[in-house]
Amino acid sequence: MRDFTYVIKDPVGLHARPAGLLVKKAGGFASRITIESEGKSAEAKKLIMLMGLGIKQGAEVVCRIEGEDEDAAYEALAKFFEENL
Amino acid sequence: MGLFQNIFGGGKKEEVIEIFAPAAGKLVPLSEVSDPTFSEGILGQGAAVIPTGNQFFSPVDGTVNTVFPTGHAAALTSSDGVEVLLHIGLDTVKLNGKHFTIHVEEGQQIKKGDLLLEADLEQIKAAGYDTITPVIVCNTEEFAEIAMAEVQAVEAGDVVLNLKK
Repeated sequence: MRDFTYVIKDPVGLHARPAGLLVKKAGGFASRITIESEGKSAEAKKLIMLMGLGIKQGAEVVCRIEGEDEDAAYEALAKFFEENL
Repeated sequence: MGLFQNIFGGGKKEEVIEIFAPAAGKLVPLSEVSDPTFSEGILGQGAAVIPTGNQFFSPVDGTVNTVFPTGHAAALTSSDGVEVLLHIGLDTVKLNGKHFTIHVEEGQQIKKGDLLLEADLEQIKAAGYDTITPVIVCNTEEFAEIAMAEVQAVEAGDVVLNLKK
C-alpha cells in the first residue's frame, strides 16, 4: 500500500474538470485507489462519488493506492495532484 | 445475445432508459460545447441544452448525490442506476454561487421535473459566461449505447438521451 497527503491549491477545489481527469488517470491502473478528505472517502475511479466529497481549496486529502501497479500509480497520481490541484 | 438476454433480462426486450431535458432550450451534441472537459467526453457522454429558461429540473427519478455549494451543478443517481451530472454554464464555478439558487439538498429523493436549481441566465451571460448546460452520464462505461434524441428544440421534461445497458 502506498499513500500520500496533499493540500488542495486549486481555488475552486476538486470540481468537475480535475475530477474527470483524475478518474481517467486512476482508471489507467489496476490498483484500488481511494481519496479521503474530512472523514469521507471515495473511489478515485468513480466520478460521481469523487465529486460528492466536496473537496475545497485548502482541504487535506489522502490518496491511498493498493495493488500490483501501486508504485507506478503512486508516481502518476502524485504528479497529477501537483499539476492539477 | 439471446442467451444473455435469457440469463440477465429474463427474455425481456432490450430496456431503454430515458434521460429528460432539465430545461427548455436548444439541444446540441457535447461536441458543440466549447470546453474540452465536456466536448472531449472527459466526464462521460451526454448532450447539452442551450437554455432559455432560468429554472432547471431533475432529468430523472432518483437521488441527489451532490449539489455543489456554488449552485452551478448537481450530480444525481437515477433509480435505474444512471449517474447524471447537470452542469449549468461553462466555468460558472468561478461565479462562486452568484446568480444561482439551490432548491434541493444532498441525499434528497427527487422525481423527474422537480426543481433543482435556478440560474439568472441574463446576469450570468452579462458576467461573460456561456450558459450552455451539459447533461452528462458519469458512468458512461456501464452503458452499451448513449444516443441523443434527434430533436433541436426541447421543453423541460422532453427526452434528450436514450441509454441501453
